[in-house]
Amino acid sequence: MAKTSAVLRKVGMGGITGNRYAFYISCAILAVLLVVPSLHNGYLENLFRGVLMFATLSLGWNIIGGYTGYVSFGNVVFFGVGATVSSVLWQHYQQQNIVLAIVLAAIVAALMALILGFPILRLKGHYFGIATLGIALATQEIISNIDWLGGGSGFTIRQAGFFSEYYYAMWAICVISLVATWFIARSKFGYALVAIRENEEAAAILGVDATKYKVIAWMISAMMAAAAGSVFAFANGFIDPPTSFAVDNNVFPIVMAILGGVGTVAGPLVGAFVLTAINETLWSKFPQIHTLFFGAVIVLVVLFLPRGILWLLAVRGGFRGFINSLKAYRV
Amino acid sequence: MTNRRLPALGALALTAALALPALPTPALAEDTIVFGAALASTGRDAREGVLTKEGYDFWKDYVNAHGGIKVGGKTYKVEIKYADDETNPQTAARLVEKFIAQDHVNFILGPYGSAASASAATVVERLKVPMVEGNGSAEKIFNQGFKYTFAVLSPARRYLEGIIDLALHEKVRPKTVAVVSANDSFSIEVAQGAADFATSHGLKIVYNNKYPADTTDVSGVVSAIKATNPDLILNGGHLQDALLLQKGFKEQSVNARAFGYSVGPDTPDFRKTLGKDADYVYGGTQWSPTAKYKGAAGFITDSKVYAAEFEKKYGHIPDYHNAESSATCMAFQYAIQKAGSLDPLKVRDALAALDVVTFYGILKFDSRGINIYKPMAVNQIQKGELKTVWPTGVQSAKPMYPTPDWSKR
Amino acid sequence: MNLFFQILVNGILVGGIFAVVALGFSLVWGIMNIINLAHGSFLMLGAYIAYVLFANYHLDPFLSLPIAFVVMFLFGYLIQRYIINFVVRAPILTTFLLTFGLSLLLINAALLVFHGDIKGITTSYSGANFSLGPVTVPWSKLWTLVAALVITALMQLFLTGTKTGRAIRATSMDIGAAQLSGVRVAHLYAIVFGLGSGLAGAAGVLVSLSYSLQPSMGDPFLIKAFVVCVLGGLGSVQGALVGGILYGILEAFGSQYVGTGLQDAVALVVLLIVLIVRPTGIMGKATA
Repeated sequence: MAKTSAVLRKVGMGGITGNRYAFYISCAILAVLLVVPSLHNGYLENLFRGVLMFATLSLGWNIIGGYTGYVSFGNVVFFGVGATVSSVLWQHYQQQNIVLAIVLAAIVAALMALILGFPILRLKGHYFGIATLGIALATQEIISNIDWLGGGSGFTIRQAGFFSEYYYAMWAICVISLVATWFIARSKFGYALVAIRENEEAAAILGVDATKYKVIAWMISAMMAAAAGSVFAFANGFIDPPTSFAVDNNVFPIVMAILGGVGTVAGPLVGAFVLTAINETLWSKFPQIHTLFFGAVIVLVVLFLPRGILWLLAVRGGFRGFINSLKAYRV
Repeated sequence: MTNRRLPALGALALTAALALPALPTPALAEDTIVFGAALASTGRDAREGVLTKEGYDFWKDYVNAHGGIKVGGKTYKVEIKYADDETNPQTAARLVEKFIAQDHVNFILGPYGSAASASAATVVERLKVPMVEGNGSAEKIFNQGFKYTFAVLSPARRYLEGIIDLALHEKVRPKTVAVVSANDSFSIEVAQGAADFATSHGLKIVYNNKYPADTTDVSGVVSAIKATNPDLILNGGHLQDALLLQKGFKEQSVNARAFGYSVGPDTPDFRKTLGKDADYVYGGTQWSPTAKYKGAAGFITDSKVYAAEFEKKYGHIPDYHNAESSATCMAFQYAIQKAGSLDPLKVRDALAALDVVTFYGILKFDSRGINIYKPMAVNQIQKGELKTVWPTGVQSAKPMYPTPDWSKR
Repeated sequence: MNLFFQILVNGILVGGIFAVVALGFSLVWGIMNIINLAHGSFLMLGAYIAYVLFANYHLDPFLSLPIAFVVMFLFGYLIQRYIINFVVRAPILTTFLLTFGLSLLLINAALLVFHGDIKGITTSYSGANFSLGPVTVPWSKLWTLVAALVITALMQLFLTGTKTGRAIRATSMDIGAAQLSGVRVAHLYAIVFGLGSGLAGAAGVLVSLSYSLQPSMGDPFLIKAFVVCVLGGLGSVQGALVGGILYGILEAFGSQYVGTGLQDAVALVVLLIVLIVRPTGIMGKATA
């Protein structure tokens, strides 16, 4: 990751504090999205609610993966746990209160990240990634075997009368996540995270309590994911372990963060929009082979936009500079 | 352009691009009833999804060739829109929502599988569009109080009861039963139903366990079952697990008086893949070509004729997935005609009150929406061919019971 | 007690396949620092090669092993040389996503060609078994284990005995020094990746004997490859073998004594414990 940051600094991406204009435009887009439910188009509402959900997941991942440099391949576990909390609330307690669900889900996920964080965040690089993947898979299987949590067949959730409340809830969570990222990026906490990413040992020597900050970062990331999951459960009306721990919910947020720009504030949001646009268009136009094209899209994105769209907009040196920077990755 | 304006324009372009797929599709020609069907053509249930589609298409082609559906004086042709739900319940829900909100279909034909059906049921309930399905038999779906979902097939718990019943009528009564199932809603209910039926008839359950739904290795399960030495071995699951288990039973020389699977034996793939190793296996079936129902007018009235016509068209004898899918469409056909309208609420009410005999069996729904009135039968693979062996009224051959040891075949 | 031994044998037999699957994955990861998420789809392609040869030419899968290996080796070589090479030095995230996209491409291409229905290979000796005391050993699984051991041994010989093998090991230790010594690193990386995918293809052939084939069949094995690599240590042939068999035994016992529904969870928990206690694996070196 050291190379990336050095390049980032060179191309002047507003440093790590985030590009102000990207942030303001993101806020504007989010404000516009508020009108979607009033269009009374169920398909559009579903679509944009999905964008908001993935944006939240991606923003959450970005905190631990982008800023702190600990690439998690299993953040879906928090999403799944959040969804399960909602389904349990309805099934066993007949609770449909979305705020209650979000708060409970966030608390459970934060506790999970707190307890697991201490041992797991000691691992570096690939090993941390695998450990998180293992946690996600193991948790999915454990939940599949506990009937009170739904077991293998899951629960159906009675949806509230005002269905759009789920859209607004997802919107609120996304806004909170974006604003939180903005403030983190400009705070001492954020600087500490980046320092950990760049050179953890040096940071520790300089007095940064790496363990504490890493765990807190993961907890924040977990809370965002769980909140999104809890709303998703109500919106979907049906939750079973394969649905809540789906691979897509794990991988897409990461791809979106990369597509938009890892370690930036607005990157995940941009990535969520673009990737959903691409996916949706492919899905409508080529229903049988959309995943094939999607795979090709991912390959192309990674080959030609390895640092994301926002970076692309900031690169100096024109086309040649762009090609030169790509060459740095080759052998 | 400076760095500032580019992101703004880019963002606007993105949002616009996102809205493009949302542009409404042009209105369809009049005089067509359009059904939306989200079916798996990829993923774990891909094969079963194909069988379902065949069943739907067979009905559609027949009806269109025989004058369509008459609704209050006008004749309508039928069209079915398909989309791949990738064996993902969430995708199924999205597709159903898209069909209704975007494509303005009239009605929904159910997906394959209980999880997808459960997921789709929440959507049609909210949007108040009737859905009939023929491939999701978990009663869980119907205990939610939904009013817009109907299932033409018998509940999951019935699948393996017939096999136990058959064995109980044989000279030497079985004493012990091993039940194993995949960890998904359908399979769990199948296993539960079998276990309850066995216990209530005095049999002892010596093994009752679940394996992960997408498992690739069942050797541990097979070994454990072998150690309990059961008379009957019953599995709730889908084609993939059935194949693995049957192979595993041969590999570890596990013998039993009967091997029964909920899904698998009926499909042509089971017999093709296993060859001789598939012989003697029993399968619970929702329908059989030997069924002796006399159907109402409007569609093929005789099971034998259905089987023959279907085989001519698709190159294989229809299995129960094909038949129940055709029956799904027939439920709509009769309900629409009775209601005399395409209004969703009227058709829903007509479905709730439906009571008609078809080649597939009786189409009637209880107050929850599932068809508890149609009995199930048992098939057995004998020398590579599927024969109906239970109940005696619809037998095309006597059951070959008990199953000979692997070493003696 | 009989059940205990049967479970143990089950675990060892299936562990052989895990070892071969993990070997290729481990080589690529250990030497090139690339986590190849398309490894599972390479396995799947190998299995389909065996299926096509069996269904059309009645070629026994064991005989298809070398064919699948060579075909997948070439395939992997080309993919590395002309696609993955572009991001070989990028952060792990980049290669992670690239190989994920590749995997999607391959799985969906396979779907188009072979369709989603489940296929299987049933040979004349499928299901044949013999008894070793109270334990039943299926012949095809035993031969699979033997094949796995042979493959592992051949790989070890290659890496220690041939010039190319030594060059590979040298490059993994110090790429700069290797280049100075005249090693054509790009070509070498492609060879390593080709070996990895060739091994995946071979593993696929072995898998096709015991499991069903469908385009998505490779992904569960990918996860297992991860675990085995951690258990056994990266880049080590013996490690992959030991890790694979160990994992097979773990999964078998976990399934039996903890719960059949939890067999993966047990193994994953063990993985987590190993990661925390000894991240470089049981046979790995001390450097991370």
